[in-house]
Amino acid sequence: MTLTGGTLLRTGLLVLLGVVLQVSGLSQLQILGSAPDLTPLIVGAVALWAGSIPGAVTGFSVGLLLDLALGQNVGSSSLVLSAVGYGVGRYGELRDPAHGLIAIPVGAAATLGYLVAFAAVSFMLETAPSISGLVVRDAIVTTLLNAIIAVPVFGLIRRVLRPVLLAHPAGRRRRAETRETGPIGLRGLEV
Amino acid sequence: MSESRLTISARGDAGNVYDKKVIRRRRAALAVLLCLSLILLTAYFGESPSGLLHGVQRGAQQVLSPIEAGASTALKPFRDLFNWVGDAFNAKGENKKLKQQLAATRARLAAAETALRENQQLRAMVGLPRQPGFPQGTNPVTARVIARSPTDWYSSIAIDKGSDDGIRTDQPVVTGDGLVGKVASTTSSTAQVTLITDASSAVSAQIMPDGSSGILRPAVGDPNDLQLDYIQKGRQIKAGQVVITSGFSSGSLQSIFPRGIPIGRVRSASPNEIETYQRVHVQAFADFRRMDYVQVLTARQPGVQAASVGVGP
Repeated sequence: MTLTGGTLLRTGLLVLLGVVLQVSGLSQLQILGSAPDLTPLIVGAVALWAGSIPGAVTGFSVGLLLDLALGQNVGSSSLVLSAVGYGVGRYGELRDPAHGLIAIPVGAAATLGYLVAFAAVSFMLETAPSISGLVVRDAIVTTLLNAIIAVPVFGLIRRVLRPVLLAHPAGRRRRAETRETGPIGLRGLEV
Repeated sequence: MSESRLTISARGDAGNVYDKKVIRRRRAALAVLLCLSLILLTAYFGESPSGLLHGVQRGAQQVLSPIEAGASTALKPFRDLFNWVGDAFNAKGENKKLKQQLAATRARLAAAETALRENQQLRAMVGLPRQPGFPQGTNPVTARVIARSPTDWYSSIAIDKGSDDGIRTDQPVVTGDGLVGKVASTTSSTAQVTLITDASSAVSAQIMPDGSSGILRPAVGDPNDLQLDYIQKGRQIKAGQVVITSGFSSGSLQSIFPRGIPIGRVRSASPNEIETYQRVHVQAFADFRRMDYVQVLTARQPGVQAASVGVGP
C-alpha cells in the first residue's frame, strides 16, 4: 500500500464508518447476551491485506476515534489496537496466507487478543471492586460472533482497499499453469 | 519457513521482509505508535477535566454526535429485528416468569394500598412532614440514547441532549424503571452518562423498609449484579426488599442523587464470618442494555451544594 490521497481517503472513511456503525448500531444488538465488535475486524483486515505498518496505523486511528467518541481513557484502545494491527500484519507478511477462509481464524484471534489485552489494560487503570465471570463469557461470545461475520467483513474491506494495494491477495493465489494444446486441440501433441 | 520463500513474498510493498531498512522502519513505526498511545494515556490521566485532551474529546463528541444520531436512527429497524429474534427464543420462559411476578405484584399492591392508608393516618397523627417516595420538582429532561460503550469496562452512554437543554455534570439520570447513572460530561447538544454499572460508580443507597444504608457498587461485566457494601452484619436482609437512593445530607453537602429514586431489588445477602459488614447483591430495576430513552433530573432544591460519592477517573 502506498501513501496517497486515495489511500488516506479510503482508509479514513473505513475507520469512521466502522466506528460509527459499532457505537451506534452493533453495540446495541443482543445476540446470546453479547454483541459483535467490528473494530478488531477492521484493524485485522487492513493489517492482513496491507501489511503491519498500515495495520498498526489503522489500529491506532480506530482506537483513538473510539476513545474520543465514547469518553473512555484516551490512548487505551489505541495502544491495544495498534499492537493487534501490527501482529496481524506481521502474520500476513511472514505466512502470506491465501486460503479463502483465512478471515475466520485471523478475525477470531484479533478479536480475542483485543478483548484480553483491553481487559488487562483496563484492569490496570481502573479500580474495579470485583469482576464478574460474565466478562469472560462476553469475550468468548463476541469472539465467536466476530468469527462468524469475519468472512464478509474481510471480503468487503478487501474490495474497498483493492485499488490502493500494490499486489492484492487474490493475485497471490497459486494457479495451475495452462498447458498449450496441439494443432488438433489435444494436449501432449504440441508440434 | 525458508528465507527464499519469504523473499519472494508477493506483497508488493514489503519486498524483502528481512531487509534491515524495512525491519528498522517497521519497528520504528510500531514503537512510535505505542509511545504515542502511552503518552496520550498518561497525559489524559494527569490533566484535569478542563484540560486539552478532555477538550479535544468533547469536541470530537460534538462533531460525531449528529453522525451517531443519524446512524442510530437508520440502524434501529435492524437492531429491533435482531433483538426480536433473541426475544422470541426467551419469550416462553419469560412469559411464565412474568405471570408469577404479576401475581406477586397484585398481592403486594393490595398490601401496599392498605399500608399506604395506614401510613397516611399515622403521619397525620404524629405530624410528620409528607415525604413522597420519588423526589419532587426535579424538572426531568427526556433524551434519546445515541451511542453506548461496546465494552464491559466502560459502562457509559451518550444522549442527544446537552448543556443547551439545561443538562449539567453530575445530574442524576433515570429511566421509567429507576436510577441508571449520572451525567459525566456535556457538550452543547450531547451528554455523556456514566452508568451505575461503571467501575467508577458508587451510590449511597438504602434498603427499604429496613433502612440499612450502604454504598452500592457494580460487579464489572454483570449489569444485573450490583453490590451494596457496608451493611451491618446483624441486619436481617431478605431477598426481594427494595433498594432506593438514600440521598444523604451533611450540613451544606448533599448526595447528587436525591432520596427516593428506586434502584433495584435485593437478590441475596452474603454475611461473612470474618467481616464486620455483609455484602448485599442487588438486581437493578433498569435494563441497562435496552435503553432507548432516559430522563435527566435537571433541578434540585436550591441552596444545597451537591457532593458526589462517586469515584471518577
